Amino acid sequence: MKKVFAVLFLVMFSVSCAWASEPIKVGQIAAVTGDFAAYGVAEVESVKIAVEEINAASGVLGRPLEIIMYDCRTRQEDVVNAARRLVDQDKVSAVIGPNGSGLCIAAAPIFNRGKVPQIGTLPTNPLVTVEESGKVRPYSFRICFLDPYQGAIMAQFAAINLRAKKAALLYDVSSDYSQGQREFFIKSFEETGGKIINDEGFRGEDVDFRSQLTNMKDSDAEVLIFPFMGKSLPLAVKQARELGIEIPIVGGDGYGDFMWEICGETLRNTYWVTHVDRYDPALKTFFDKYQEKTGTECQEFVNAVLAYDCVYWLKDAIERAGSVEPEKIREALEQTKGLKLMHCTLTMDEFHNPEGKEGVVLRCDPEERKSLFFTKIKPE
Amino acid sequence: MQFTISTLFQQIINGLSLGSVYALIAVGYSLVYSILLFSNFAHGGFLVVGGYACYYLLTQWGYGVVISMTGALLASGITAVLTEFSAYKPIRERTPITLYLLIASMGVNIIIENLFVVTVGGRVKALPQNTFPTGVFNLAGGVTMSASDIISLVTAVVFLGLLQLFLSKTRWGLAIRAAACDIRTAGLMGINVAFLISLVFFVAGILAAVGGIFLSVRYSLYPQLGSITTKAFIAAVIGGLGSLPGAVVGSLILGLAEMLTAGFISSQMRDLVVYSLLVIMLLIRPAGFFGKKINDKI
Repeated sequence: MKKVFAVLFLVMFSVSCAWASEPIKVGQIAAVTGDFAAYGVAEVESVKIAVEEINAASGVLGRPLEIIMYDCRTRQEDVVNAARRLVDQDKVSAVIGPNGSGLCIAAAPIFNRGKVPQIGTLPTNPLVTVEESGKVRPYSFRICFLDPYQGAIMAQFAAINLRAKKAALLYDVSSDYSQGQREFFIKSFEETGGKIINDEGFRGEDVDFRSQLTNMKDSDAEVLIFPFMGKSLPLAVKQARELGIEIPIVGGDGYGDFMWEICGETLRNTYWVTHVDRYDPALKTFFDKYQEKTGTECQEFVNAVLAYDCVYWLKDAIERAGSVEPEKIREALEQTKGLKLMHCTLTMDEFHNPEGKEGVVLRCDPEERKSLFFTKIKPE
Repeated sequence: MQFTISTLFQQIINGLSLGSVYALIAVGYSLVYSILLFSNFAHGGFLVVGGYACYYLLTQWGYGVVISMTGALLASGITAVLTEFSAYKPIRERTPITLYLLIASMGVNIIIENLFVVTVGGRVKALPQNTFPTGVFNLAGGVTMSASDIISLVTAVVFLGLLQLFLSKTRWGLAIRAAACDIRTAGLMGINVAFLISLVFFVAGILAAVGGIFLSVRYSLYPQLGSITTKAFIAAVIGGLGSLPGAVVGSLILGLAEMLTAGFISSQMRDLVVYSLLVIMLLIRPAGFFGKKINDKI
């Protein structure tokens, strides 16, 4: 009899041990292939690094984190499928990613219906966390600032730092991200007394922008505004310079170091509003680690840094919630205040957006072949 | 919208340069169509193979431009022949219905695209900056032409000229023309049809590789690059599927139509106009400008 008890005790002990160390399942959706592939790969790698660090240091609530990653192929259909799998089959506690606004907006109804909190890494459109009616989406969060914010920074930078009065704008008609930035750029730029003298669109998969750029060339614009991302961005810069357009180009956070490979020195005189200063000393350890783990330099650094910080934000929320229940995590995320992360101090506003973040403006230096810190701007 | 002569010239140059790239691809389509009477949608895949082969020969193995380009042409040519052997030939031997070939070619295209996604990743690549001459030439009145425009125009002309010579002056060219008229009779006249078909695929593969290299120079390289061939296909249809001069004319018309629409009407209307052009063409002249016979266009 004693023996039986001993065995039973052992079994129970080992089972409870197993429970205690059962991993916390966290979903990740990233665009590992398709148009945003470069950004998505960087996110996957940096999330891995953060999770390894956290698990090496006793995990969260004494349990390791386990990432379940799905590739959304930069397509809204695939995002929806990935979100369904994470919510219905994998039953994760929370989800990190995807990065694009269109992708997050497509997935939002599924997470909000399934009541699983989701943190977008780099979706900057307002509708990511707020429905069109103005109601906050309770389970949608983001770590980055918004297009109005970004559009306003671009407008302020063009009007004040570059002293431009007339701007020409090229944007992607098929992208929420691009539409949002365009709209808010125009609004803010016109508020400063500036004029948009050329407003041209293209469609997402286009690779040739020369006819639009030719029209801009013949206008007397003082600055070109490129609020879009992906491979269109370097191609548009290169084609603009090839057409002999030499005025400054200002763009948003679509900038990535991969653009140098395509553009080379045609990136001269371009400025990019972004979230993170690449050469901030606080980030050096992370970038070194990234290089060591992946064997490549971290080119899409904004995505990498924000995705990395998402993991630590989630860790903090789970710890404050004291639970892995999605509902409790959601509440904790909403109440985030003054959380010190690697790239910023994070406070959530009532619309699930970070409050009062500064935008960084980078300037491309063709001699060093990199983008250097130019100035910081906080829109009024 | 202000209208100046220099803008018009610039848009025409833009259109011709885009059209010349379409032409290289469209001719490959038309060549295969003229013999086998089906649209080989795997052509986009061959193009991607050529682009990546050139990229890796240049960057990983450090070969010069000439060797890398030759290697890329061979790689695409061989891929095309292998595709013919492994996918199309078995189907052709079983059924005369070309629709199956069309579907198989779409499958091959997706397979090639995804092979690259899986092996080299989806990241956008660019051929090294110093591979081809870069620079911008200022023509009169502020009109500019980039070195890559000139190179792609010249290459398109050279390769299409070579193809024309091959088809009109050589015995195998004659055989291909005979097969284009009637492949069964050509076979009965003693032409080795199996070899002929491989040869056609090889030539089409080479043209695809040239297109692929130029697309990667102008627009960068990524696994979905082949999707641009949809436009080349439309150009081939407008010109008359199966007709090589038709493919060239159709491509130039399409390139000009795209650029002029985007420049003078509205950039958002570009694809609307292009696809409307296709529909109108099919309504008025189903065989295109130069197509001889009206077949099922699949």
